[in-house]
Amino acid sequence: MRSFCSLLALAVAATVAATVAATVAAAEPAPGPLRIVTTTQDLAALAREIGGDRIAVEALAKGYQDPHFVEPKPSFILLVNRADLLIAVGRELELGWLPSLIAQARNARIQPGARGYLDASLNVKILEIPTGQITRAMGDVHPLGNPHYWLDPANGRLIAQAIRDRLSELAPNDRAYFKQRYADFDARLAAAEKRWDATMAPYKGTKIVTYHRSWPNLMSRWNLDVIGYVEPKPGIPPSPSHTLQLIAEMKRQGVRLIVVEPYFDLKTPRSIASQTGGTVLVLAPSVGGVKEVTDYLQLFEYNIAQLSRALDTTR
Amino acid sequence: MDLHILQFLAAPAVASLVIAGIHAYLGLHVVERGVIFVDLSLAQIASLGATIAAVVPALGGDPNSRGVYWMSLGFTLIGALIFSMIRGHRANIPQEAIIGISYAVASGAVILVTSKAPGEAEHLKNMLVGNILSVQWPEVWTTGAMYLLIGAFHFVFRKRFLEISINRRAAASLGTPVRFWDFLFYASFGFVVTRSVAIAGVLLVFCYLIVPSVGGILFSNRIGPRLAIGWVMGTAVSMLGMYFSVVFDLPTGATIICTFGVVLALMAMVRPRVIAWKS
Repeated sequence: MRSFCSLLALAVAATVAATVAATVAAAEPAPGPLRIVTTTQDLAALAREIGGDRIAVEALAKGYQDPHFVEPKPSFILLVNRADLLIAVGRELELGWLPSLIAQARNARIQPGARGYLDASLNVKILEIPTGQITRAMGDVHPLGNPHYWLDPANGRLIAQAIRDRLSELAPNDRAYFKQRYADFDARLAAAEKRWDATMAPYKGTKIVTYHRSWPNLMSRWNLDVIGYVEPKPGIPPSPSHTLQLIAEMKRQGVRLIVVEPYFDLKTPRSIASQTGGTVLVLAPSVGGVKEVTDYLQLFEYNIAQLSRALDTTR
Repeated sequence: MDLHILQFLAAPAVASLVIAGIHAYLGLHVVERGVIFVDLSLAQIASLGATIAAVVPALGGDPNSRGVYWMSLGFTLIGALIFSMIRGHRANIPQEAIIGISYAVASGAVILVTSKAPGEAEHLKNMLVGNILSVQWPEVWTTGAMYLLIGAFHFVFRKRFLEISINRRAAASLGTPVRFWDFLFYASFGFVVTRSVAIAGVLLVFCYLIVPSVGGILFSNRIGPRLAIGWVMGTAVSMLGMYFSVVFDLPTGATIICTFGVVLALMAMVRPRVIAWKS
């Protein structure tokens, strides 16, 4: 028994020592480029367009992960603790994991409301904002609107503006640099948008189905008509009766394309496709969602190429 | 390894020690009673209560409200009542069967309830199942104080609790009101489990409960040494798991769980040598 007691004492002593060492080790922010942490890779890509080599950017959620659910890791706490600016998608997209991370990271600079916290959704065009009184009986309504707004390049431009303004505020000496980089991004985006609009023009009004409500901004930008969802309600896995209704509706309206996010199971979409003679298409909802997509413009290059090819074959 | 991370791991580390302390003890009872999955079952019943409270508008309808906590506690006590009733029935139904059924039905009911409140479903999942990494100091202190009280209660009545866990029939024949003590056991146990699960999540709490007592049983037949081995093991694995989680940048809870598995396997491997050396 004595040896157990001494072991126990040793363990307790080790813990106390670790805690004391930890409190002493609190570090001051080092000078250097602005440290920016974003919740998603889309925001990181946009920040990179504006900040160039004057900032260091890290994204928490990877593009192939569902941004609603992110398992926090120790490195996340350190990143947020040292950040000069935290850029979030907002609209409750990160509600499940970001608030506790912010609380845990103990960084006064990036608390919501501080200059180091940027909610990227504040000046963009948000779809599906419910009007009138919201009750729980309405179920599937997201009270602040659909949070997948970055999938319209017009919104990307607005997010880039917000980032430019905030960076200029945090690093006033680089104001001209950020301004010039924004102008460059804006020009490239505008040129690309013309091409994308031309590619998508022939498919105007085509009806499609998507898995989750991730795509309203992308689809409404190019006038595709989403007539239904594989999920009966956001976040709820497909149910038999809903799936049967959806199949009947797709047959009735002649819908043959099902767009799916990379993190959902393809079983139900495939069985719906086989019964309706349709095709399942996995698109990239975010930068990093597929390997080829490494920046914001490529996100649309990829999705538009995939979408137009699939729409050609399902006509 | 970046030492700066330590200050953020201090609260989770102390929380894991608090949890290890009481669960290694309760685990001895649970293993002795042969009700291994009772904590999963009680935790699921508690989360059913919390889900109902979070979804039904009349009960507050806010996943953060106090109503959620009380509702989940209430459900846990109902579960405790059920489990204290089933033991001692003469019918040839194993206790584990009832525990398994309760778990399955409670899990199913949680899915049904959340399917009626879809807007919140994705958030509920995170709010009811804790993440040890995001625990904060005030939570650690209140939990520590509560567990200390429950631990003291169990220490004062340790003879009774051990008696009904180890040899229930003998206790009953001596005139001990076993149902009452069973209920007290499951009620205090359920109270602890509900709180621990909210901090650390179901899987991790299960490991803290069962693995240390199995580790103790490997090396001793007596309660005292088993408890000591369990405590040392719980402490060591918590610290080791956190270390791995930082060094390899892995989700902390899952890393501790797997460390428990590896350490138990190592202990089982050295057991024959220890036994030989002892005799």
